[in-house]
Amino acid sequence: MPVSFSGKRLGRLLLLLLCFSPSPSGGSPADAAMTTQDVSQSQANSMTKMQAGLNESSSEPITTTRAVNWQTQRSSSDHLRLEHNASNPALLGPDPTPQEFKQATNENMSNVTVVKHEVLLSGVSGTPVEKTITLDRATRIELLCKLDAKYSHLKSLQVTWKKGNETIRHINKTENSWSVHLQILDNSKLGSYTCTLKGEEEISATFHLQVPKIQGREKPIVSYEGDTAVLICKTFGYTPIAWTWYMANGSDQITINGSLLTDKYVINGGSANVTHLKILKLTKEDDGVYQCEAAFELGKSVGKLKLEVLSLMVPLKPFLAIVAEVVVLVTIVFLYEMYSKKKDKYANEKEFDQVEQLKFEESNGLENSSARHRKI
Amino acid sequence: MPPPADPGQAPGPPDGGWGWVVVFGAFVSIGFAYAFPKGLAIFYKEIQDFFGTSYSEIAWISSIMLATTYGAGPISSILVNRYGSRPVVMFGGLLCGIGMVSASFCTSILQLYICVGFITGFGLALNLQPSVIIIGKYFLKRRPIANGLAMAGSPVMLCTLAPLNQFLFDNFGWRGSFLILGAILLHCCVAGALFRPIGPAIVAGKTQATGRKDVLKEVTGNATNAPTENKMEEEEGKDCCEKINQYLDFSLFKHRGFLIYLIGNVLMFLGFFAPIVFLAPYAKHIGIDEYSAAFLLSILAIVDMIARPTTGIIANSKWVRPRIQYFFSFSIAFNGACHLLCPLASGYKWLVVYSAFFGLAFGMVCAMLFETLMDLVGASRFTSAVGLVTIAECCTILLGPPIGGTLIDTFGDYKYMFIKCGAVMVLAGIFLFIMNYYNYRILAKEEKERKAKEEDPQSVRTESEDRNNWNKEPALDGPELEPLREEGEGLKKEMKGTNEV
Repeated sequence: MPVSFSGKRLGRLLLLLLCFSPSPSGGSPADAAMTTQDVSQSQANSMTKMQAGLNESSSEPITTTRAVNWQTQRSSSDHLRLEHNASNPALLGPDPTPQEFKQATNENMSNVTVVKHEVLLSGVSGTPVEKTITLDRATRIELLCKLDAKYSHLKSLQVTWKKGNETIRHINKTENSWSVHLQILDNSKLGSYTCTLKGEEEISATFHLQVPKIQGREKPIVSYEGDTAVLICKTFGYTPIAWTWYMANGSDQITINGSLLTDKYVINGGSANVTHLKILKLTKEDDGVYQCEAAFELGKSVGKLKLEVLSLMVPLKPFLAIVAEVVVLVTIVFLYEMYSKKKDKYANEKEFDQVEQLKFEESNGLENSSARHRKI
Repeated sequence: MPPPADPGQAPGPPDGGWGWVVVFGAFVSIGFAYAFPKGLAIFYKEIQDFFGTSYSEIAWISSIMLATTYGAGPISSILVNRYGSRPVVMFGGLLCGIGMVSASFCTSILQLYICVGFITGFGLALNLQPSVIIIGKYFLKRRPIANGLAMAGSPVMLCTLAPLNQFLFDNFGWRGSFLILGAILLHCCVAGALFRPIGPAIVAGKTQATGRKDVLKEVTGNATNAPTENKMEEEEGKDCCEKINQYLDFSLFKHRGFLIYLIGNVLMFLGFFAPIVFLAPYAKHIGIDEYSAAFLLSILAIVDMIARPTTGIIANSKWVRPRIQYFFSFSIAFNGACHLLCPLASGYKWLVVYSAFFGLAFGMVCAMLFETLMDLVGASRFTSAVGLVTIAECCTILLGPPIGGTLIDTFGDYKYMFIKCGAVMVLAGIFLFIMNYYNYRILAKEEKERKAKEEDPQSVRTESEDRNNWNKEPALDGPELEPLREEGEGLKKEMKGTNEV
């Protein structure tokens, strides 16, 4: 219900919000198959289409129509601004207010493509078919469950689309494919959507809609006291709106404010999808788990990093052990060499002495024999 | 056995005994020299994040290290010529240790370039050359086996260092790992301690005074001085050129065999290392997952490990040893052929086959790399030869992978890089084969001429010179004579002043 408002914008916004929120009967808000069309072209068309689509949905027709009216009305007047804003990334600035945020979402809504995701059911019942879809911004999405041609003989299939326990209205696109159209605007829309085909057997497929995951590190980063540590978080291909760093101390989370303690923490964002947290002058207290949180339009994603701070003595002990071992080995080698040299020398000298002795005895023997001869 | 009374009558290289301990020391030393730069790659990602640099700036560390290890070859040779292998290797080990320990305290990437790149690289250079040289001094008959075993140190060390580095990194971070690696590199000092000096100085315990001069003359290996030194052993060459030649034998550039080897090898190294560098990325490019791609390199290393000693044994057999240059050219051409066939490998199974053959060929070439040089120039001039060869190879080794990289980037396809490497190596193999064929023929001719002049009065001088060059002295079996004879030929030619080019 429209609340009393001060600003024109705010009022419009709130209305739109209410209208596009899921009704208890589970009707998905944007029911018409709105494909890529320029708003300027299809204003009238969209009106009729919306209303046609409304016939299928069971959500409150009145408010929806009004919302649609609001939207198309606004679109017509703000057409130029729309297109400009849709392509202007500056709108998704570092610190957007919720107003601008949602406005951008809705403006983008009108002329954005519908992203189609399809799953082919061909497996045996029992094996779950799953598909993970990563979304970082509000999108229109179409999820399609297609039955393989080999099962086309199965008649009387009961098809249900569910999110959790809620059933969603679906469209029978072709003979053996069924789809749902979703407008993913905020975190509550994300989750798992399942299509179930009940015939003789039950075949199902699940689409998991989630925010982009952050690549953290499973192994801890090892650093030393007094040194610097650099913790890095990355997302692949998706640019978050903002990054926040937390330190988990036991059970509580402490936000690390880069602007406060500038001689301790330095937060850099190199490019938008990478963030660096540099921690200077490490101490033992900096040891622990750090979390980097990326805020996307559709929610937040967290990456965990573990930092270990060691004292310098830790690697020093193996170092000294190995150096001692090397010194011992070198000493052994040299001692062995000196020992074997001495042995050789001693053996040589002994032999030499023996040779000399033999020579002396020989010469003495000769003299003796000659003396004997003389005597005789 | 009584000590020889004649100072010149020294026994030949032991070919065993303490020699095997020296081979083990060379195994460790060569292993560190070749495997350490590759093993450091594990730390690069972390260092890149820490200093906030780009990948190419980190890759410079490897390049500087490799360039210094090969480029400092001549310095290494000069030091070995002057001081012998042992002090040089021990000093090299110490330098490596100091380099890595100081690297662990670095605060900028430039300091890392200096500590890891220059200092450790220079230390590794002081390890590599003397280890190869001392094998030539301890072995003659079994030299190919000794060379094959010593060169097997490289893949073994790589297989050990890679998981060790990973373990150190997980537990100590990159700074702690560098500190501990510095201590581990000190084991090169232990290897150096095992390199007992050998030569006339050691053997003739009583002939210390004359022995020293013998060593000086022997290790300089300056053949142009031979006739003068024969007459006046106390006199050293005072001439400028001779003084330089005393430390680094530039007269090698007139040696035919040396030139053939130099040109062939410089050409070969252009395509030698690039395939290893790009094997894993190529595997990932054709869709193989990361772990299987890494496994390809492991297969390569394991086959390499086995191939090197085996090649040594084959090269030592009496059929191959006299024609070892042909075997070397064949293995280079075989290596090139593997690369040329690689683009045909479609699928993981064939890539495994390629890796195995590549490992085999790589091991064969590496095992004989220094053996063939020793065979051509002789153990006495090998010291200078290895220094000159490594500095010449340095350029092409550094150019090889970047050229391969540009080919890949330009054409977007890996096959041109493989074709280029294969073609270059096949060319080098064929070149070496043809040139060595001529070399062998000319040497055989000279051998005949030498025999014809046996009664020449000059033969007296040759004999006394032979006695002083102990590494040619011992009577050996038939096949061994040819490599030795050509050393004699070389020396004789120098004496007579004929140019060999």
